[in-house]
Amino acid sequence: MPDQAPRRRLVHIVSGVRSGAATTLDRGEVVVGDEDVRRAFTDPALASVSLSVLHPGDSARIVKVLDAAEPRTKGAGGGGVFPGFVGAANATLGVGDTHVLRGVAVVTAGYLPRAQEALVDMSGPAAPLSFLASTHNVVVEFEPAPGADWGEVAAAMRAGALRLAAALAEGALDHQPDVIEELPEPRIVLGDVDGDRSLPRIGVITNLQTQGAFKDVYVRGSSFGGSQPTAVNPAELDDGIVVSGQYGHPALKNPTYLHQNHPIVAALRARHGVDLTFAGLVLSPEPVEQHAKETVARQAAALCGELGWDAAILTKEGGGNADSDVSLKMDALEEVGVSAVGLFAEMAGADGTAPPVVAPPERSPAMVSTGNYDERLQLPAVERALGGARFDLLDTAATDAMDVPTAVVYASLSPLGWGRLTAAAATMASSE
Amino acid sequence: MRVVHYINQFFAGIGGEDSASAPPERRDGAIGPGRRLDALLGDEHTVVATVFCGDDRAASDPASLDEIMQLIRSADAEMVLAGPAFSSGRYGVACARVAGAAQAAGLIALASMAADNPGVAEAGAAPIVESGETARQMGPSLERFAAAARRVAAGEALAGIEGVIASTRRLNRLDARSAAERAVDLALARFDGDKTATEIPQPDFGHVHPAPPIDNPREALIALVSEGAVVPMGNPDRLESARAHKWLRYSLEGLDRLAPGEYQSVHGGFSTVAANADPNRILPLDAAREMERDGRIGSLYQEYLVTAGNGTSVADAQRFGVEWASELRRAGVRAAILTST
Amino acid sequence: MLCNLLPIATRVGAPRMVPTRGIPYPAGDPSLSQEDERAWRRTLLETALVAVSTHVTQPTVFTPGPAAAKSG
Repeated sequence: MPDQAPRRRLVHIVSGVRSGAATTLDRGEVVVGDEDVRRAFTDPALASVSLSVLHPGDSARIVKVLDAAEPRTKGAGGGGVFPGFVGAANATLGVGDTHVLRGVAVVTAGYLPRAQEALVDMSGPAAPLSFLASTHNVVVEFEPAPGADWGEVAAAMRAGALRLAAALAEGALDHQPDVIEELPEPRIVLGDVDGDRSLPRIGVITNLQTQGAFKDVYVRGSSFGGSQPTAVNPAELDDGIVVSGQYGHPALKNPTYLHQNHPIVAALRARHGVDLTFAGLVLSPEPVEQHAKETVARQAAALCGELGWDAAILTKEGGGNADSDVSLKMDALEEVGVSAVGLFAEMAGADGTAPPVVAPPERSPAMVSTGNYDERLQLPAVERALGGARFDLLDTAATDAMDVPTAVVYASLSPLGWGRLTAAAATMASSE
Repeated sequence: MRVVHYINQFFAGIGGEDSASAPPERRDGAIGPGRRLDALLGDEHTVVATVFCGDDRAASDPASLDEIMQLIRSADAEMVLAGPAFSSGRYGVACARVAGAAQAAGLIALASMAADNPGVAEAGAAPIVESGETARQMGPSLERFAAAARRVAAGEALAGIEGVIASTRRLNRLDARSAAERAVDLALARFDGDKTATEIPQPDFGHVHPAPPIDNPREALIALVSEGAVVPMGNPDRLESARAHKWLRYSLEGLDRLAPGEYQSVHGGFSTVAANADPNRILPLDAAREMERDGRIGSLYQEYLVTAGNGTSVADAQRFGVEWASELRRAGVRAAILTST
Repeated sequence: MLCNLLPIATRVGAPRMVPTRGIPYPAGDPSLSQEDERAWRRTLLETALVAVSTHVTQPTVFTPGPAAAKSG
């Protein structure tokens, strides 16, 4: 990797959001321009879209949450961000400056036939579990065009939200950033196993749930299904090369926003040069067939071995079968001498007494718990709901008080490690 | 205290698997293992009645539990003891549900079974006392059961009582640090040589005892079952696509295959494009009918049983398994072919 | 049991397993012609019959025989 100018984030701290005639950043408040909303969602698969804003602490709920993105741009027209959707698929990214509107998200919500019901509460007991409860949210709801193909509706909302996110960030181009963040980047290249070993080299392998229609993830605009594990410059994540089109398992979903702000990349960057060397990022698909899962696991382990990694942190997206992708890779990594740690959500039953995982690794017990999927939450009634009038899972009004498993709270068991939720044993009666 | 003892048809002496559909009944006093239990309970407690039920009936007919509870109440019970059920899944589930319902009704109630019995997850707030794996350990199992029951009846805290299975619960909480930060710590610890560090213990799935083989498939009644969430188009009974808490049955009578457009998969764990193009890819009815015509199998059971295996807790999955086994045994099914996604 | 993720099934103790070709189609293989796929489905069930007719004491995988080899 050649030397380059320091990679920087020009961060604008957002204190509010409202809609208005033209997009701008007004003393920390994002104004969402009508014309930009109209231009973002011109796809004929959509009859109409409507825009609302929600703020942290509101007595409000978003149901049928589909995806969320953080507004970013590298210049006029987006400057290449979200390649394949906003920028050109082959845009040069991961270099230079990126403007970031921190504290705001563009959220899409509404009915899709294969999506699993997901919710965000802006206040109350579920609020600490979802990153969207702490952002000002520009929520885009939609009506499909009559007879439109649902896949095209989903694609139209996906691309539209990214265009709107880039357009909102452009409103900050002529503003001084509040914070400038310089990002350390890995300087490890293939075959560099003999380089500086004074600190352990730790990298992250992120599995993308590439399992077909409505369960797909895009890299530079194309499904990552069928790809091989690939080393990627982590700075490209900042510029939106990974985009979610995955609408299953709400709690175990990795929204576009969290790929842009990959929590493990952030944690490794924070300690780069302190007690570790950030060794890089490998993206891998999650195939739907055992042999393919095993093949991909061996390929990923071999790649990390060639990169000279000492340890790898594994992340997944989705439910039980995705656990086996993590476990197979952990076993394959340990076999080639790379220490492996995986993030897992537990499925220990509503009372927490069932076995927590069904596909644990065999060669490394090192699992981080992002919480128990099945434990129930009592949510209070709210004044306002977006995304739909009904909460289909319980067949109740979306504003009602409800008793739900943690599994329906959007990204609450974040497999990318965003959350502070975890599960731990509490013994109720001692045995002999 | 007045004790009612719950047992199954086998220990009541009315028959084995042939009597597994027997409805609930009550007899005065102790019978079978209850006699020894009664002696071990000492002078303060007396087994005044025994209630028993066939294992299949108890595990698969939802009305059974109400009938059993009525019989228990009719004996003016103050304490209910169920089992020991050892490793028997259907018996264990029945004992656990009886004890759980009795506890919920305000009675003192305990069940006894092996620690890996699926019933362990079904007892609600009632304590479970660990038994041996098989009836060969009846003697020591009853001694431990009676001793625990006397101490519970005396108001002792469960935590100090020998043999009460510790229900280790995994509870959610917010940590001070994010999972990402903890993952980095764990990676450094593992690299530094701590080979046991983890936040999640290795799971224990207990033991599955394989059923004996069938003698001749050409004479057997065979069932098709699936966790692939294949249901009639439109999902009329609203099977959940994830975290299913129920299973459903649908008739196969008169059907030669599952026609696309008439059946669909509502499974939320995989792309259903292939399944909906041909639902026989999930439930292989077309090939099974062909084998029935060819005489390769005796006949196909007239219904299929189905749930969605997607984010299902092990406890729910075990309950479905016990209920399916009871249901199919009652119908005379000798083998089930389960398709798993 | 017809399933694709054999390591998980083995781990939880499934007594008799027949390996399949993908999570989304335990009794099929969309890469085959309609006729060949139907034959494959029958092969899976024939293998399942062998499995339920065989005494086992632990999780056991019954692999479809050579006649069941993928014919493309």
